[in-house]
Amino acid sequence: MPRISEMTDVDFNGVENPYVPPKVLRLSPKLKLHQRWDEHVDPVTYEVVRHNLWQINEEHGAMIQRLSGSPVAMYALDLNPSILTEDAEFVYFGPYMQYMSGVTDTQVKWTMEFRSDNPGINEGDMFIANDPWVGAAHQQDVMLLCPVFWQGELFCWVTNCLHQYDIGGITPGSFCPSAESVYEEGLMLPPLKIIENYEIRRDIEAVYLRASRKPQLVALDFRAQVAGNSTARDRVLELIKRYGAETVKGVMKRVIDNSEKSYLEKMSRLPDGEWYDRTYIEACRPGDRRTHRVVLGMKKEGTKLTFYNDGSAPQEGAMNATYSGWRGSIMVAVNELLCWDQYFACGGALRHIEFDPTPGTLNCADFPASVSTAPIQSMEISLYPAYNVISKMIYPDKEMRRDIMCIGGTSQWPATLFRGIDQWGERYGYLLVDPIGGAIGAFSMADGINTGGQARTPICQLPNIEHTEQSFPVLFLYRKELPDSGGAGQYRGGLSAESCFIPHNTDFITQDTLSSGNATPTSPGMMGGYPSTTNAYTFLRDSDIFARIKASQMPGDTSEITGREEILQLRQENFQQHAADVYAVRWTGGGGFGDPFDRVPADIEKDLEDYAITAGAARSLYGATVNDQGIVDVEATAIERARIRKGRLNGGAGKSRKGELIFQASTCLDARRDTQGSYWACGKCSAELGPLSENYKHHCLREDNPVSSSNPLIGDPSRYIDDAVTFRQFFCTGCGSLIDNEIAVASDPVLHDVVPAMNAQ
Amino acid sequence: MSSYLCGLDIGGTFTDCVLMDESGQLTIAKAPSTPANFAEGVIEAISRAATKIGLDLPQLLDAITVLAHGTTVGTNTIIQRRGAKVGLITTKGHNDVIHIMRGSRGLAGGDIKLIVHIPESSKPEPLIPKRLIRGVSERVDCFGKIVVELNEDEARQAIIELRDAGCEALAICTLWSFLEPKHELRIKQLAQELAPSLYVTCSSELAPKWGEYERTTAVALNAYIGPVTVGYVTRLDKQLKATGLKPPLQITQCAGGTITVRKAQEAPLLTLDSGPVAGVTGSVFLGTLMNTPNIITTDLGGTSFDVGVIHNAAPIVTYKSLVHQYEYFLPKVDVHTLGTGGGSKVRVDKASRSLRVGPDSAGADPGPVCYGKGGTVPTTTDADLVLGYLDPNNYAGGTMRLDRDAAVAAVQKLADEIGMGLYEFASGVATIAEFQMADLIRKMTVTKGLDPREFVVYAFGGAGPVHMGVAARELGVAKVIVPQGDTAAVWCAFGAASADILHVDERVSIMSSPFDLTRVNIMLTGLYEKGHAHLLEDGVDAARHQFRFSIDMRHRGQINEVEIDLDGGALDQAGLEQLRERFVTRYERLYGHGAALHGARLEMVTFRCRSSAVSLKPQLVAAKELTEVIAGDALTSTRDIYWAEWKRLAPTPIYNGYKLKPGNAIVGPCVVETATTSMVVHPQQRIAVDALGNFLIDPNWT
Repeated sequence: MPRISEMTDVDFNGVENPYVPPKVLRLSPKLKLHQRWDEHVDPVTYEVVRHNLWQINEEHGAMIQRLSGSPVAMYALDLNPSILTEDAEFVYFGPYMQYMSGVTDTQVKWTMEFRSDNPGINEGDMFIANDPWVGAAHQQDVMLLCPVFWQGELFCWVTNCLHQYDIGGITPGSFCPSAESVYEEGLMLPPLKIIENYEIRRDIEAVYLRASRKPQLVALDFRAQVAGNSTARDRVLELIKRYGAETVKGVMKRVIDNSEKSYLEKMSRLPDGEWYDRTYIEACRPGDRRTHRVVLGMKKEGTKLTFYNDGSAPQEGAMNATYSGWRGSIMVAVNELLCWDQYFACGGALRHIEFDPTPGTLNCADFPASVSTAPIQSMEISLYPAYNVISKMIYPDKEMRRDIMCIGGTSQWPATLFRGIDQWGERYGYLLVDPIGGAIGAFSMADGINTGGQARTPICQLPNIEHTEQSFPVLFLYRKELPDSGGAGQYRGGLSAESCFIPHNTDFITQDTLSSGNATPTSPGMMGGYPSTTNAYTFLRDSDIFARIKASQMPGDTSEITGREEILQLRQENFQQHAADVYAVRWTGGGGFGDPFDRVPADIEKDLEDYAITAGAARSLYGATVNDQGIVDVEATAIERARIRKGRLNGGAGKSRKGELIFQASTCLDARRDTQGSYWACGKCSAELGPLSENYKHHCLREDNPVSSSNPLIGDPSRYIDDAVTFRQFFCTGCGSLIDNEIAVASDPVLHDVVPAMNAQ
Repeated sequence: MSSYLCGLDIGGTFTDCVLMDESGQLTIAKAPSTPANFAEGVIEAISRAATKIGLDLPQLLDAITVLAHGTTVGTNTIIQRRGAKVGLITTKGHNDVIHIMRGSRGLAGGDIKLIVHIPESSKPEPLIPKRLIRGVSERVDCFGKIVVELNEDEARQAIIELRDAGCEALAICTLWSFLEPKHELRIKQLAQELAPSLYVTCSSELAPKWGEYERTTAVALNAYIGPVTVGYVTRLDKQLKATGLKPPLQITQCAGGTITVRKAQEAPLLTLDSGPVAGVTGSVFLGTLMNTPNIITTDLGGTSFDVGVIHNAAPIVTYKSLVHQYEYFLPKVDVHTLGTGGGSKVRVDKASRSLRVGPDSAGADPGPVCYGKGGTVPTTTDADLVLGYLDPNNYAGGTMRLDRDAAVAAVQKLADEIGMGLYEFASGVATIAEFQMADLIRKMTVTKGLDPREFVVYAFGGAGPVHMGVAARELGVAKVIVPQGDTAAVWCAFGAASADILHVDERVSIMSSPFDLTRVNIMLTGLYEKGHAHLLEDGVDAARHQFRFSIDMRHRGQINEVEIDLDGGALDQAGLEQLRERFVTRYERLYGHGAALHGARLEMVTFRCRSSAVSLKPQLVAAKELTEVIAGDALTSTRDIYWAEWKRLAPTPIYNGYKLKPGNAIVGPCVVETATTSMVVHPQQRIAVDALGNFLIDPNWT
């Protein structure tokens, strides 16, 4: 299947095909752009205006947050404001839902191209938009675009995007796990002028609200979006009046130019090459027991980065994302790992990044594929590999190495879509927001953050249990962090958690599941780090919970409850949870970084004391010698680790080859060169691991084990999928040290994850 | 003999004592703080004040009618992480609430660098480690109904285990206890029986609010600072009583106002951050005297910039606060802090030719380059010195000599890197810092529906009057007031002296419209009775009781609420209608015209009553006569100062602030110096001395 760049005869106009903005926008002559700016704004004015622009955007977001009524928007902070130049380059993007970065500029550009003639883009207008082929992540993420005019010319754009409670579709909440196409999903609006000359068009607002099961909440949120844009627009105009249009525009352009310079400087320090990662989505529709491969490739040539998804599975069922969703996912990782020092001014880097996916695939789906689940499935599964490939690219630079972050928690979302009549006698339909509590994956020099949220929404906050119980007819038995849920490693991944509840003050709850990552870990760890737990649903029918309630002996875990266990499939629909049916949902934790055998014994001891790991894991994964009091014997541990490493060699021993270091590719893998050529070598003992032009893994000792051996909380994949899943480990032939791990469907070949360019060899 | 009001402020280094007699005469004394036993420093400061007015200590204590005291013991305990070993008992299954922290890192609204650069951040060290947390079987639901009875055996077991593990304090917080506190109270009772030496605190008494994370944090913090704060307050109270003090000691609290010693023992958390709050309270009082009901209070010190807002003579409050990334519930005067002050570091980036100020600070040690203590990164103070705003030989009352040459060299070096002139660069640093301050103030007013142009700015702190003139001009405020030298210096102590006794009681009951008037009034009456009882316990006559009621409301389905004031403690049908109108008005004032959804269902969430007793107020003495004539010796020298407005150095008159008299006025540019600060008056600005001796800067004179 061809990539977008190879399909020269196709019009990527956002209708049948995804909108891919051209280099030069095709605008109506009616729309005049303000394109004069001061190239030499003095540093003081620059800093003052820059700070103001940042503040305007921040307050814009804060205002929507205060006004919104949508729980996802509020807790998952599924919103984002931004400021873009007249030609839709990012000036600032907010610290909220990062996915929305990739979907904002495309929607503004489309609007400029396709709406500047008819109905025209004028002062006092705002456009509402949520069409995933134009640029929305999914239909629930409704965008409001506001052009800012100065003296008749389009000066810049202020925009916001906000996840809506419900905009229709076959499933309440508008995540539709059984949809086969967009026709079964929520309302879709290509950019539409909903505010004209400063007035809300009531007719259009009515159309917008009509499809929703909660029109009043959507109406409130719409007002929040209008208020946010209006305030931001007025403040930009104040800034223009105070400093002059040319000056303000000069600052905007320089913010982007500066971020570009920073990006270019970083890229110049890194070797060229290609990096790959592979992962899987499980089940794309009810009854499906297959895995759907997701591959991310990244090629670095000088300062240019190209991302592609060759080898990813075709679009199918209800798991897909569009081009803009995939692009938005990757931009999250680019922003956080490469541009964090520019504080969300990502426009500069974008000038050098190409997105070149293959249409028709699950993360670049063609119309009319179902895409309502995109952010919690195809986008999530596209984002996290991006952390891995970028982290591997920056590892060779000692300074940038500090920015590495492993895949974090909730790398696939185990959704609990529930509906029924609530304790107030009203209809409800929603999903449990708890998994937003996620976990942050390990860093290259520190442990990840336990239930530290999702890295893609850096300031999210999950609801208090008291908030959830007020809104929905449930009673939580517990919500707790889980020992061993974080991936093992020299630096441990953050712990995730599990929530467990029964229906309360209602007859029953009708449930749908929507998940992936229950069989195959989707937070796999990096450079020797181990995976976190998988997602897990535990469902116990007709339990003894009421006897326990009566006896005042509440359980601390589902394992203490007696009941008939029912294995929930990943797209199980319309099952009823009755009063005594206990439902627990566990989400993935953070991946680990580096070989667990390199973890300092004192840290293992602290982990035991803090219930972060169990003694069993300390022994089996970390090679630690632990007594019953949780004390780690440092000497015995060293001996045990050495014994295991030696045992892996099985008698044979690779030879050390001490050439000159070209770059360090990972914690235990060097690229070296001598007169004979360039080659891979163990970072610990310098044993040669094959030529640089080949996959080092083929030159390592390999051990394959069931995936359940990689984390004590991972169970048998065959409960959910038909494919076998293996945990492959690659060891140094010289010293038996762990070089890397890989999780794969057994039939997939070994992944060639690092491919240095010829000029780097 | 006169009677006296006495305000005390115990700082890290000094303990300040302000006495005020019935005529408003101020007496100020300082003594070194005595961290081992703060009471010693307090008694010493009062003794020194007594000496100044020719009394001995018992005589003075006898004459004091109100003794108000702001303490930083709790704050310091948290900063130094030297709090008690705390155990927590909670609902079984919910042990990890304060570890999960609602799945956040507690950084929202904080340093953006930490938010975006995740590897640099982490969660804070947990207040209570997991092994000191016990869950017990019990459960209340969202209707306040008991679903699972308390398992007392488990509760006993938990108490004994935590006691035996060496806990010094016990925090108790169970789910929905703000609706049904029975289980919490029973656990507390059991703890008092089984572990009588433990400091015990439960959430339904401290912070009966909706949201278990912030409630648990509140009670955990309360327990954490409990033993040390209680020890301190009790000891101080005892010692003061032993020395003959009659009126009860009153402690400044973070909601503004004061509390009794008994209340401080029960809820030491109320004293957290009460220092900066006392400053705001002091400003409310000054504002009443000076007829300025709308005030932005600013305190710019070496390392931080604190801002509070007073609207219609009442401080703006917040009900959720953040300390060290922990969020907790407690009514508190909203004081925002920027980590920018005189010590904010200045940096340039050659490649992008850009210049940044802060947010990190050089602190006091090594401090700015000009301190000569090893600082190498120039700060705003260095820029101020280069510009001539500060006198190197007369800084901090002449106690410190500044090295101007070193500052010039350091600033010049950075200026060269981005091709700017020395003065142009230094004034740029000042401007950026001033605009950052203006931005914070803007954020605290405009985003709350307040217009800064209707406010005056009070400038406290050594560096405040240097920069506030420009920040004020940018905001369009009418006036910057620099409270008179001595009052400004002991501003926090003054705040304590002018505070009222205050109890803020809150209760949550989530009701949707159409509202049940009976239920609403039951809530309000309950709060009134509680407040009334508090004040009686405090020994306040019913005649001096004051009550103010409010309800936090929102559109149904919304998450955030807006506080709506009531006229009294009961509502009738007409009052309910009016309430809806008030909500819409307030909402649209905050969020813009059209933001409210007319006809939408509303919800009431939190009911609140502020019960206060008006304490005796200090009086300030106004000058009897005003004079425009400036004394000849007030003009001390002329110094070259760089003015950004003129883009050049100009010889500028320097005045001795102590020689200026009420009624004097000087048009800028000029600098007025006192022992603690320099008031920088830019061109087109004017400074005047009012009848109370305060300095007023008009930021837009011509």
